[in-house]
Amino acid sequence: MDIYLPIAEVSVNAPLLVALGALVGFISGLFGIGGGFLMTPVLVFLGIPPAVAVASMSNHVAASSMSSVISYSHKRSVDFRMGGVLAAGGAAGSVAGVELFRWLRLLGQADLVVALSYLVFLGIIGGLMFWESVRAIARRRRNAPPPPRRERRPPWLYGLPLKLRFPRSRLYISVIPPLILGAFVGVLSAIMGVGGGFVLVPAMVYVLRMPASVVVGTSLFQIIITTALTGVLQAGRNQTVDIVLAALLLAGGVVGAQLGARASGRFRAEELRALLALIVLCVGLRMGLGLFFTPREAFVLMSGSGG
Amino acid sequence: MLEAHAPPPAARPAVVSAALTETNVRVNSDFRGDRIVLYGAIFDPLARPSDVVVIVRGPEQPVRIARRSRVAGVWVNSRPVVFQGAPGFYIAASTRPLDDIARFGVLRRLEAGVDHLAMNAPAEQRIETRYGVRDVVVSRLGADYLDWRRAVVRLKEAQHLYDVDEHGVRFVDRGLFRAEIPLPAEAPIGRYDVRILLFQNGQPVSEKDRTLTVEKVGVERGLYLWAHQRPWSYGLAAMAFALAAGWAASSAFRRD
Repeated sequence: MDIYLPIAEVSVNAPLLVALGALVGFISGLFGIGGGFLMTPVLVFLGIPPAVAVASMSNHVAASSMSSVISYSHKRSVDFRMGGVLAAGGAAGSVAGVELFRWLRLLGQADLVVALSYLVFLGIIGGLMFWESVRAIARRRRNAPPPPRRERRPPWLYGLPLKLRFPRSRLYISVIPPLILGAFVGVLSAIMGVGGGFVLVPAMVYVLRMPASVVVGTSLFQIIITTALTGVLQAGRNQTVDIVLAALLLAGGVVGAQLGARASGRFRAEELRALLALIVLCVGLRMGLGLFFTPREAFVLMSGSGG
Repeated sequence: MLEAHAPPPAARPAVVSAALTETNVRVNSDFRGDRIVLYGAIFDPLARPSDVVVIVRGPEQPVRIARRSRVAGVWVNSRPVVFQGAPGFYIAASTRPLDDIARFGVLRRLEAGVDHLAMNAPAEQRIETRYGVRDVVVSRLGADYLDWRRAVVRLKEAQHLYDVDEHGVRFVDRGLFRAEIPLPAEAPIGRYDVRILLFQNGQPVSEKDRTLTVEKVGVERGLYLWAHQRPWSYGLAAMAFALAAGWAASSAFRRD
C-alpha cells in the first residue's frame, strides 16, 4: 500500500506511517511531549527530505497535542495562563527559528546544527532527568522520606519585575523567565522539528517550580500554539508542508495520543520520567554520535536549491 | 543508364527511427515509478554494423553538494558548491559499452555517458592569466574538482537518477531494437528529452529526438499547485485540518 506524497515527491508505505504516527502519538500522550524528536529522525531515515519532514511534523505534533490536551483540560490540569505566557515567547522564538533555519540551509550547515542540537539538548536533559528520577525511585524503594524541598525561592525567579499570578500552578512569579523559556523552545521547534516538550517539561518542574500535576497539560497546550504557528510559517515561507504525509501521521497520532493520555494514570510519575529520560538519551546519542564517525560517503547532496 | 545518376549505395546514409510507447507519465497517488519502453528501427540498405545509443535527460536541476571534513573531531559540511547544467534525471542506454562505440571526443560532444555531462560550478570559477596565457578558466576547487564532479554522479546514481546501461538497448530483430528506461518514483516532474543516436564506424550518422512528459495529475497536482501558489492559505488549511482531527479524536474517545 504505497502512496506518493505530492510535496515530498517520494513514494512511501502508508500503513507504516499510520502505525508510526500511532506509536509516537501514544508516547506523546503518555509523557506530555510532542514526540517530534522521535518522529523526525525516523521520517528522514525513511527517505523523506529533512526539510519536508521537519515542517510536516509540526502539523502532526499540533494534532496529537490537541487530542490529548482536551483530555487533560477535563481533568483541570492545564494552566492556560502559564501556557499563554510560554506561547507568547514561543511565537517570537519560532518566527526567529524559521528564519534561522533558512539561513543555515543556505550556508549548508543545517545538518550539523540539527545533529548538534539533538546531541547537546537531548543528551543533557535526558541525562539530568534520568539521574533525578532514578534517585527518586531508589528513595521510594528504601521507604526513605523525600528530601526536604528547598523552599528558598530563587531570587531571579521571584525578584524580577512584571509579576503575575498563576492560580492553577499556585505561583506568583515574574513573566520574564517563562517568556524566555518559551522563546528558546520556539527556536528549537523550528530547527529540530520538535514540539519542545522534552525541554519544557523538566524546565517547568525544576526551573519554574510548577506542581507536577499541571506540567504535562500545560506543556501540551503551549506546544499546540507554537507548532501551529511553526507549521503555518513553514508552509508559507518554505512550502515544505506535505499535507498527505501529515494526514497519514496524524490519523494514527490522534488515536495513539488518546490511548497514551489514558495510560499515563497507571504509572508513577518518577517511573514515567525515567523511561522518558532513557528514550531522550538514546535518540540524542543516535543522532549526535553520527557526527564523530567517519562517514562512508565524503560528499552530501543538499536538498532544494537553497530556498 | 538511370543507375548512373542514383548515388552509389555506399553513400546512401543509414537512418534511425524510434517511438516511445508512452509519452505522458502521469504521477498520481499510487505512482511508484514507471518503465518507459522505446521501439526503433534502422533503415540501412547495406546493413552495415550499427550501434544505438538512447539518452534520456530530465529537466535541468542545479545540484548543491558539500564535502564533509573533520573539524575538532566532528564531521562538518563544507560550504556547498552549486553545479549548473546537471539534468535531474539522466540515463544513457546503449547496445555496447559507450567506450567501444565511439571515441572520447565524440561522446563528450554528444554528452553521452555520465562522465561527459556538461555540468560545472560557475560560481567557483574565475578567469585569470597563467603562464602568460590569458583567459584561463581556473576552478577554486583546484585539483579536487574531478572528485566533486564524480561525487555528484555517484550520489545521483545511488538515488537511481543517473544511470549508464551498457546493454539497455537490444536488437529484437534485424534492424529493430527495443530499450527500456526505468523511471524511479523520485524522478523529477517536467519535460524529458529522449535522443536516439545511430552510430556506424564510431561516428553518429543519424539521430531522432522525442519528448516525454512527467506530470502530476488529479489530487496530487491540485495539492502541489495549492501549496506553491497560495502557500499561506494552504498552511492555514493544513493546520486547521490537523487541529480539527485532534479535537475529533478526543471527543470520539470521550463518548465511549
